[in-house]
Amino acid sequence: MASSSMDMAATMNDLPDVILSIIFSSVSDTRARNSLSLVNRKFLALERSTRTSLALRGKARDIYMIPTCFRSVTHLDLSLLSPWGCSDLLSSASSDPFLLAHRLRLAFPLVTSLTVYARSPSTLHILLPQWPNLSHVKLIRWHQRSSSPHLGNDLVPLFEHCQALSSIDLSSFYHWTEDIPPVLHAYPSVSKALKYLDLLTASLTDGFKSEEIQAITAACPSLTKLLLVCIFDPSYFGCVGDETLLAIVANCPKLRVLHLVDRASLGSTRGEPDDDGYTREDAKISKVGLVDFFTGLPLLQELVLDVYQNVRDSALSLEALHSKCPELKLLKLGQFHGICMAIESQLDGVALCSGLVSLTIKNSADLTDMGLIEIGRGCCKLAKFEVEGCKKITMKGMRTMASLLHKTLIEVKISCCKNLNAVASLRSLEPIQGQIERLHLDCVWEGLEEDGGILCFDLNEGLCQSFEHEYGSKRKKSRYSSDPDPSSFCMQSNGNGMFSKSWDRLRYLSLWIGAGVLLTPLPTAGLYDCPNLEEIRIKVEGDCRTGHKPSQREFGLSCLAYYPRLSKMQLDCSDTIGFALTAPSGQMDLTLWERFFLNGIGNLSLYELDYWPPQDRDVNQRSLALPGAGLLAECLTLRKLFIHGTAHEHFITFFLRIPNLRDVQLREDYYPAPENDTCTEMRVGSCWRFEDALNGRQIPD
Amino acid sequence: MGSLILDALNVRVQGQGEKVLVFAHGVGTDQSAWQRILPFFTPYYRVVLFDLVCAGSVNPDYFNFRRCTNLEAYVDDLLNILDTLGVDRCFYVGHSVSAMIGILASIRRPELFSKLILIGASPRFLNDEDYHGGFEQEEIESVFQAMEANYEAWVNGFAPLAVGADVPDAVREFTRTLFNMRPDITLFVSRTVFNSDLRGILGLVKVPCCIIQTSKDVSVPASVAEYLKNHLGGENTVETLRTEGHLPHLSAPAMLAPVIKRALSR
Repeated sequence: MASSSMDMAATMNDLPDVILSIIFSSVSDTRARNSLSLVNRKFLALERSTRTSLALRGKARDIYMIPTCFRSVTHLDLSLLSPWGCSDLLSSASSDPFLLAHRLRLAFPLVTSLTVYARSPSTLHILLPQWPNLSHVKLIRWHQRSSSPHLGNDLVPLFEHCQALSSIDLSSFYHWTEDIPPVLHAYPSVSKALKYLDLLTASLTDGFKSEEIQAITAACPSLTKLLLVCIFDPSYFGCVGDETLLAIVANCPKLRVLHLVDRASLGSTRGEPDDDGYTREDAKISKVGLVDFFTGLPLLQELVLDVYQNVRDSALSLEALHSKCPELKLLKLGQFHGICMAIESQLDGVALCSGLVSLTIKNSADLTDMGLIEIGRGCCKLAKFEVEGCKKITMKGMRTMASLLHKTLIEVKISCCKNLNAVASLRSLEPIQGQIERLHLDCVWEGLEEDGGILCFDLNEGLCQSFEHEYGSKRKKSRYSSDPDPSSFCMQSNGNGMFSKSWDRLRYLSLWIGAGVLLTPLPTAGLYDCPNLEEIRIKVEGDCRTGHKPSQREFGLSCLAYYPRLSKMQLDCSDTIGFALTAPSGQMDLTLWERFFLNGIGNLSLYELDYWPPQDRDVNQRSLALPGAGLLAECLTLRKLFIHGTAHEHFITFFLRIPNLRDVQLREDYYPAPENDTCTEMRVGSCWRFEDALNGRQIPD
Repeated sequence: MGSLILDALNVRVQGQGEKVLVFAHGVGTDQSAWQRILPFFTPYYRVVLFDLVCAGSVNPDYFNFRRCTNLEAYVDDLLNILDTLGVDRCFYVGHSVSAMIGILASIRRPELFSKLILIGASPRFLNDEDYHGGFEQEEIESVFQAMEANYEAWVNGFAPLAVGADVPDAVREFTRTLFNMRPDITLFVSRTVFNSDLRGILGLVKVPCCIIQTSKDVSVPASVAEYLKNHLGGENTVETLRTEGHLPHLSAPAMLAPVIKRALSR
């Protein structure tokens, strides 16, 4: 009867707790978790007990409001507390910083991984002893390091209090290279146990010198992950050369992940597509040196060598990479030339690294279409391919390569390649349009001559004998099998150039665009139909001080309304340089540009927005102006807004108009962050008042 | 009452020294405009910094439209701050409209100021029959039109879109900073500024003044600096900076600081 039919229907509630717990553990989205916890008390308890990661937002001084129900948290992020980047987290919190630290320990007893904004070491001295089992610490500091001569002072608390430390991330921590070796030497028991060290910091003006690298690796023999900024430029003392590379592998043979990035390459600006691709000097790395380097790293899975000085004729060395490092899945090479010779049908050089899943080639001056095709044939498992600053490749080569990789390729970046403007880049990916999930393009609209007939290379001709041999038999089968012939892929296209298929799987799009260039051609360039695009990142770069005005009133953000699911945007104008208040007569100031960029943003239904205002470098000012504040306030669907710059109180109050706005922060996360609140137009009191006003509103969900 | 104003106007006191030096910013900026000048003075003076009540960095609720109809209200604020801090004698550096405020303050309380240093100062911005202030009535009108358009947009929930670039070139540099506040405050303060005329009372000033002018300031013609020198009641000097612009403390701090230093030492 009625009751028995109800008994028959099993609900989720009937699942045993153990299974529910496992299911909940795999849910990572915060809002989903919050919803789960509202269902009933059992779900609440299970959700809380499986939540392992938490970022605290709120005012540091409101310690009584620290939630105590998240006791299973093992990763705690304290770096976003308000006021952002405050001078001393604990001292500004209350009269008793120890009390705050103690309360944090009581609320989160199981923390083993901590992220914290550490302006001075005193914060760490009080906070770190609360969790003796800390194994991973990420320190953040965008403010300048104090000019104290005591090297490593900022890091001493880390080594003193965290005996179980195995992982340190200083990638966003303003420090000097000289700080690191002394502290590693002073605490050998901790250094010897370190497994993960991330020193890829943009604040360093030069990068670690060879002696410093040798000292660091000697002190930390157990390292499996090492990321370093270094100097490859041979005109500098201490540049990285063969001996440095050999020292690294001799000291740290267990390395699985190694990133060696030249300081010049860490800059966020794009290169010059017209450059011939060769730097003036060659790096001091020889072929033999490279081979010995690879030989010493048998466990290597991820390698980034972003050298920024020429490494010529690297094909032979890269072949060694394949044989010596069989586990290698991710490879990034900067300024390597001759990476594959593309002779007839032979596979050589980097194309032999068939296990690669991700490959990034940057500034390879002699990479040609044939090279691309060879890589497409050889690295047949590639899921991610990025190419930057390669002048010789064209749409044909790229398209053929995409067709060859149709089974696996889902993420592509094409940037700063002279012969691949936006339209050409998109056309080259047409064969795999339906499967691309993440894409980066440069919005260069100036057309190249459309090569009417041939879209890609005809792989069927005698050009590649072994290709015939490998694929020949498959070609015969293709009529019957579901595995289409790659060459047939690249021939598909409508004659009139319009894209027939949609970018079904595209979820993330990243764009680079010059200041003053319009965004409006984007949909018609080939990205008309992107039904699942959720997130977009736009980087605008250029110098606005030349006096010209933007040609139109609107940059064209409204054209993104074509994408129905677009909800998250990062608009990065930080490398757009201009005058804030001191424009000489006849010149335009940045308010005009800000209006140009943001005009139309209210037409998009954005949920989350990160905005980097344009910059006045002379006064180190990145601030929101009147039109910017007004236009952002028109985004009525926004829930999260992060401005990476400053804004004064009159303007941030505009945001209170946005009904569901919940999370706003002004983060001066650039080097160097302004020292205190008399260096900018922001005042601590303004932030308090705004946050109180924001938090005082009722939010329906 | 006293500490309220120190808090509300973000008053900061920095530096060591016996003598007190007050920096007052012009409308549309805030005390951070002085940040590159400060290091030249904090070792030698007790420096007082504050934000004008109309500044963007001050809680807009503190802006009292009834009170701030003319510059006297700003003078009240300045004197209140100095009294609360217990300052009985100081040097005063004022930019643009704050120079006017300093002039008025020194008439009310001449014993409080040892010297006035006036940067980009003008007793009246609008041109008159025999007087060249630098701004024509039509130019001011176009500025007000832009500001009124912003005000309307803002009140109705739209983005205020008129910016400095939309007004005539001749007034652009000055009014650019005026757009840097909330639209209703901008409109109100701009009216106050352009309606002010201090020519009649300049003679009442007894405090010595140093008038600092850039070689080309579109907002303040060179003749105005001469006018001030001749009409201010005390001992006056004019210093010309070999740079252009209305905001030398932002665009050329290294050139301005020594000039201020010299003026303070005399």
